[in-house]
Amino acid sequence: MKKGSNVNNRINFLKEKAKNTRLNVVRMLKAYPNGHVGGAFSLIDIITVLYFDYLDDERGDRFVLSAGHKCLAQYAILAEKGIFPKSILDTYGALDTKLPGHPDMHKLPGIKANTGALGHGLAIACGMAFSNRLDARDGTVYVALGDGEMSEGSNWEALSFASHHNLSNLVAILDYNKLQISGKVSDIMNIEPIADRVKAFGWKVYSINGHNFSEIIEALDNAQKETQPTFIIANTIKGKGLVRGAGEAACHYWKATPEDLDGLEASLQAEGVD
Amino acid sequence: MALEYFDPRKVFGNSVYELAKDNEDIVVISADSGGSSGFADFMKEFPERYVECGIMEQFAVGFSSGLATQGKIPVFCAIAPFVTLRPYEMFRNDIGYMRQNAKIVGRNSGITYSDLGSTHHSLEDFAIISMIPEVVVLAPQDPNEIKGAVKAMIEYKGPVYMRIGNPPIPNILPDEEFVIGKAKQLNQGEQLTVISVGTATENAYFAVQELNAEGYSIDHLGLGTVVPLDEEAIINSVKKTGKILTVEEHYEKGGIGSQISDMLMLNGVQVEKFQKIAVPHEYATSGPYKDILAKYQLDKEGIKNKIKNILI
Repeated sequence: MKKGSNVNNRINFLKEKAKNTRLNVVRMLKAYPNGHVGGAFSLIDIITVLYFDYLDDERGDRFVLSAGHKCLAQYAILAEKGIFPKSILDTYGALDTKLPGHPDMHKLPGIKANTGALGHGLAIACGMAFSNRLDARDGTVYVALGDGEMSEGSNWEALSFASHHNLSNLVAILDYNKLQISGKVSDIMNIEPIADRVKAFGWKVYSINGHNFSEIIEALDNAQKETQPTFIIANTIKGKGLVRGAGEAACHYWKATPEDLDGLEASLQAEGVD
Repeated sequence: MALEYFDPRKVFGNSVYELAKDNEDIVVISADSGGSSGFADFMKEFPERYVECGIMEQFAVGFSSGLATQGKIPVFCAIAPFVTLRPYEMFRNDIGYMRQNAKIVGRNSGITYSDLGSTHHSLEDFAIISMIPEVVVLAPQDPNEIKGAVKAMIEYKGPVYMRIGNPPIPNILPDEEFVIGKAKQLNQGEQLTVISVGTATENAYFAVQELNAEGYSIDHLGLGTVVPLDEEAIINSVKKTGKILTVEEHYEKGGIGSQISDMLMLNGVQVEKFQKIAVPHEYATSGPYKDILAKYQLDKEGIKNKIKNILI
């Protein structure tokens, strides 16, 4: 947690930021109504905590969104942090936008890797973490993985490497909403027992509720002290915050109507996300 | 005077090692491939900058990208198909699309791993890596040029693919600065333009030298760079001779022959004859290197015969 802050006040602050971040996604969808909303909304609470309380670029902290299709969440949080003007959100979906369907570091400040093809981010994050260690920088490298992308063999190569080279400055966060585009992860390609599998690869594993800000903060604080790479299994709900369709695979790629967006905006403004 | 032969992998590895003495950003990546890439001295001298990844080339390329984001200059060298075909998407996205200052080196390229069969040949790397925008593709032609190309590759800020061979090769070019994108004029002539690249240049060079003695007049350009192509040198030569022969240890589709013919057509340059010596589109056979070269007319005699046929 951010040093010197009161826990309850800080959590209320972060909840407000997470609400605004979801509203930023709605703003993008009003410009262009299609996107990978399900995963973006399951991830937003986690990356809100990361971006507001943990990431310090100067220190060498880095965040890699391995499941690059969740970039709506990253664009929304970067705008909320003021990394780029919110007016850019209104260009989502337009020709030559700085906000393509998967992130491009050369188009938008704050993006550290051009992800989108699954199974790439963890290897890139290993390179960043290794480099920090070579240069004796304190920074931690965080990488957000999707649960569907854990089927990619390249992730398991990277899990081996990080353990073998003991990258204790690397934190992987699994956005475990248990759904991928065609249905349940457990039906399509089971990744369980994911905690045991990753432990067997030599990582420290935490399992948390990925929408509980206290648990997110506690896990991220613990990760700072670990002497081995840390894997946080964040149990989440796909589409968390949607009025309809949360927890269903269909929200993976959402094609919203204007009424959907008005309803979602009103709901978020009125109630936030429980 | 007898020619002195050098192992191209050792020349490469030693060149990186020498530069790394002054450039602390250089980090060598191995996929159980460092020892065979000429990095023995580097491993001994700079163990903290020598990163063993084990046999996982997809990871090694992505990892290189991550290092580069933080200002390192990763140099990843392994057998050519394993750094190009296997991790192609990582090469395209993590190195190319991210415009990383990373250096990927394919050794034992072409058919130099002749006896190990098609899995270990690399006959499509010019084609597939050239398709990735903004990646420089180098193919130094002799030990001197390897040394120069390594220096140029490290000094260049951006993604580079370099391919080198395996069997010992002699120095045939002057020990001078390597300029990315500049062809070397290896012989002046009027009848035919011969353009060779990388490992194919040695035999082309000696073929042309012998034909000189027989009274032929051949313009020989040696390419140490495939991308960017030295269009000016090629066009000027072809305008003079009207005939062209390309020589490469690569498939005839997609290699320098294809790229040069495209380039000449787009520039409206007419040629009277255009011939290629390259490997036909098949899984190349296995056997002694010299025998495979002869089978595909890539040996000195094959090149001489081809040139004579063109000039009949």
